[in-house]
Amino acid sequence: MIKAGQIDKGTALLIKGQPFICADREFVNPGKGSAFVRLKLKSPSTGQVLQVTMKSQDNAEEIVVDEIDFQYMYNDGEDFYMMNVETFDQISVPMKSFEDYQYIMKEGDTYRCMVYDEKVLDIQIPSKVVFLVAESEEAIKGDTVQGATKYVTTETGLKVKVPIFIKQGEKIRVNTETKEYLERVNS
Amino acid sequence: MYDFAIAKKRNELYKNIREFFDDKGYLEVDTPSLSDNLIPENSIENFSTMFSNEFLLSKEFYLIPSPEVFMKKLFVQEDCPSIYQISKCFRNSEQLGKIHNPEFSMLEYYTKGFDEKDSIDLTEELFKKINLIGCSSSLEKRFERITMREAFKRFANLDLEKLQDYRELRKVAEKLSLIDEKTKESWQDTFNRIFLTLIETSLPKDHPIVLMDYPRQIECLAKDEGNYKRRWELYVEGVEIANCYWEETNPNKIKSYYEKERALIYNQRASNERVIPDFDDKFYLNFGEKYPESSGVAIGLDRLLMIECRKLSLEGVILFPFSDMIC
Repeated sequence: MIKAGQIDKGTALLIKGQPFICADREFVNPGKGSAFVRLKLKSPSTGQVLQVTMKSQDNAEEIVVDEIDFQYMYNDGEDFYMMNVETFDQISVPMKSFEDYQYIMKEGDTYRCMVYDEKVLDIQIPSKVVFLVAESEEAIKGDTVQGATKYVTTETGLKVKVPIFIKQGEKIRVNTETKEYLERVNS
Repeated sequence: MYDFAIAKKRNELYKNIREFFDDKGYLEVDTPSLSDNLIPENSIENFSTMFSNEFLLSKEFYLIPSPEVFMKKLFVQEDCPSIYQISKCFRNSEQLGKIHNPEFSMLEYYTKGFDEKDSIDLTEELFKKINLIGCSSSLEKRFERITMREAFKRFANLDLEKLQDYRELRKVAEKLSLIDEKTKESWQDTFNRIFLTLIETSLPKDHPIVLMDYPRQIECLAKDEGNYKRRWELYVEGVEIANCYWEETNPNKIKSYYEKERALIYNQRASNERVIPDFDDKFYLNFGEKYPESSGVAIGLDRLLMIECRKLSLEGVILFPFSDMIC
């Protein structure tokens, strides 16, 4: 337990059983009254942002979070199976906690994860990732002003809307947050 | 690196303040920074020091958190005009931040015959005068005026009238997950949780806003009116800059305030080693029928300068900030 007044940026806390990281902290003294601290907390797994104001003397539960590199091995539809690159220990991560990550994680690639209590809180995916076009459909007539587009499927099963000139076997760079095509990559 | 350009701006600010009040016939007074007694305020921690001399009794003195304790006494004398002072104030605190420095500069002005609403107009006029050339322009804008009750309605959709009873206030705070069931605290603290989370953060930043009529549960030396105190605070760009009362002059109410605050302070501070200042139990005798009606305003000059000069923290406007000295 630490006092809210001791919380700093980067401190990891447990709020109602859910882990959060302090993204920002500001001390506030109302004109008359006890000292308070305003915290911006982020949940690594859900991305939820919480703004909390606590009395500096309030107790908060601090947790220790580790950053560990895991290699993504495969998934069985229920869990991701990942291996600690240093210890070779395997860990299973419920796919439910990281919706759609099966479409952006590549088997064999290493990802930095935040771990607390032997549970993976967060899998850090780079914002731009290069994928291979595994399947390409027929072009659909689109708005001629914007240029015709079509859908392709990457090796991870991600469906991306791309310009019609993109062919199967080519590589594309994708924004992993918005799942939008960014550019063709020449190997 | 010492920022002499900012030091020059501070110069200009003080000059303009003095010109403003001198032109209006106020007297600039100079009262001590050390006092053997303070006005009790349970939320303000104090610095203490010892007067010692081999031929006299030692006595504990306190660095003033505000010159109010002296300035109010001046009004007892009939020939005292409206007064102002720029002084250093001292508040001992464990939390340093962007807008706190344990030693800070304060402007306090007491106007005879004014209530707190008159003080709003006066302060607006003052801001127009002191607005420094080339600095932030939000201070020049007209002050928006709303009551705390209106602010709760507008920014939190809550009716303060219905939250007078602690149980109702508590229910709201628990529902908003601002407090857990086990924590015991005062009406004031729970109110502040809600206010600081929902209201203060929503206040407009593009123009100054005055929050009037504070809840009476937050004790202070302002006159009462129903469930509220005739008190306001001024927010500029989201920062609390000034506090004002229609000063309480009823000696019984002042006596009762002293008794309540003193009890709270002893309760809070006796068990740990925090300073418990001496209080003048006869302070209330200064007031009564002959004491003039007046309104006092206190403005944090460092914060004002910080906003004027578009700095993000007090460190940007204070030569030798405290945080440099304690690291």
